[in-house]
Amino acid sequence: MKVTVDMTLCEDHGQCAIAAPEVFRINDDGHLEYEGEPSDELEEYVEEAADVCPVQAILLGA
Amino acid sequence: MQAPGSTTIPALDVNAPDFSITSPEVHAAREESWYATTPYGIAVLRYEQVSRLLKHPKLRQGSVSWPAHHGVTEGPFAEWFASWILNKEGDEHHRLRRLMNPAFSPKLIGGLVPRFQALATELIDNFEQPGQCEFVSEFAEPYAARVIAIMLGIPEEEWPIIARESVTIGLALGVTIREDLPEIEAALKNLYAYCDDLIADRRANPREDFVTALVNAAHGDDARLSDTELRDAMVLLIFGGFDTTRNQLGLAMQTFAQNPDQWALLAEQPELGRAAVEEVMRVNPTVRWVTREVLEDFEYEGVELKAGTTLHLYTESAGTDPRVFEGGFDIAAERKPHYGFGGGAHHCLGHFVARSDMSEALPLLARKMRDLQLLPGSEWLPDSGNTGPMRLPIAFTPGN
Ligand code: HEM
Repeated sequence: MKVTVDMTLCEDHGQCAIAAPEVFRINDDGHLEYEGEPSDELEEYVEEAADVCPVQAILLGA
Repeated sequence: MQAPGSTTIPALDVNAPDFSITSPEVHAAREESWYATTPYGIAVLRYEQVSRLLKHPKLRQGSVSWPAHHGVTEGPFAEWFASWILNKEGDEHHRLRRLMNPAFSPKLIGGLVPRFQALATELIDNFEQPGQCEFVSEFAEPYAARVIAIMLGIPEEEWPIIARESVTIGLALGVTIREDLPEIEAALKNLYAYCDDLIADRRANPREDFVTALVNAAHGDDARLSDTELRDAMVLLIFGGFDTTRNQLGLAMQTFAQNPDQWALLAEQPELGRAAVEEVMRVNPTVRWVTREVLEDFEYEGVELKAGTTLHLYTESAGTDPRVFEGGFDIAAERKPHYGFGGGAHHCLGHFVARSDMSEALPLLARKMRDLQLLPGSEWLPDSGNTGPMRLPIAFTPGN
């Protein structure tokens, strides 16, 4: 699956990294890093991450 | 605590009886430095630093030792307080957050919008006098409590229980917590019994609703929520969601009464409801400060922050920081996000609900209550910590 984060919206709250730590992570500088093409097995958690993003910056594609 | 290149760091006497966290004094301090000293630690005043420090990995949420500081170290209240997701960090916090988040998903909340609209309409149409109301008791309080009743799937007419027990538990956030403890713990016990019944009922009769979503919450290898965790969390949701929403609605009316053209605009363009909530929370947030505590010594922007120091992050000061925001109150303007719901790992769990219910309520209020006029007789919480009106008499021209 494809994941894109709109970095103009992202505020580095890190809720996605709590929901799906396999895909999203806050680095030592406090900024978001993520895996753009995670395995389909993680879909449920990635969807949860997109759902809980406080600024709704996460877009999912097939 | 001297920042390089600056001569004086402002000091704020937050204990002074007339201290106001939104005063010209605080705004002037913000122009001198990004922080000020206070008797309790430091106050962070500018947008950029509030944004960074809210999420800083060397800080934890700052209220965990509140009861202990006031001599309450054991018993039902101390235990419940320690169970709050707000007072957990790291893996423990993340597990609770993962399990609770899905019940708050915008998809589930979206289904409640027609109920929020019907509720707002009913309350306004039932004001006792035409053209006049006491906004807190006739709207903000029943609205906030009944939204929670709707979420929890309990009969809406039982809302006074939610309001009454939450207000009593709220005494725990005051300095007289020890004296008030018996009353606080009685209220807690009542809400426990209430929530235990709800949990048992949804276990036996699952529905498509919020409590069932919590009861059934599961995430990968995370241990499921126990009955004790569920009831502790549900009482926190009642407590954390009620007075914040009530207060924020009252503050919205204050701001709009000062900006009549914006109120008229909202009546004409109800689709601005969402933006109206954001703009109100930027300039007039009920949670005036968010606290953080330093976990280990570190340097931040030239300032040595020592372990154990408390930081108060001032939300209104950040939201009106001229480095980031043009002056004025404009619900049609594009703005950067405010921090009225906090930020980072502890970002408000209930914000989709709060945003959704308030953005339905405000345009309906604007349409049905034209030409707002604040009347004498209002009563206010102090302008620090969590604030808002306790009484807010308003006159208006009835609209349809
Ligand atoms: C206008 C209404 C509301 C405002 C202004 C508000 C504000 C906040 C703020 C500022 C925080 C962060 C505190 C911190 O970091 O120290 C927070 C956290 C929280 N809020 Fe809200 N809130 C509101 C409504 C609600 C509602 C309706 C609920 C639940 C039904 C709720 C549940 C929570 C919970 C559980 C947390 C703790 C989250 C965590 O620690 O991970 N809030 N809220």
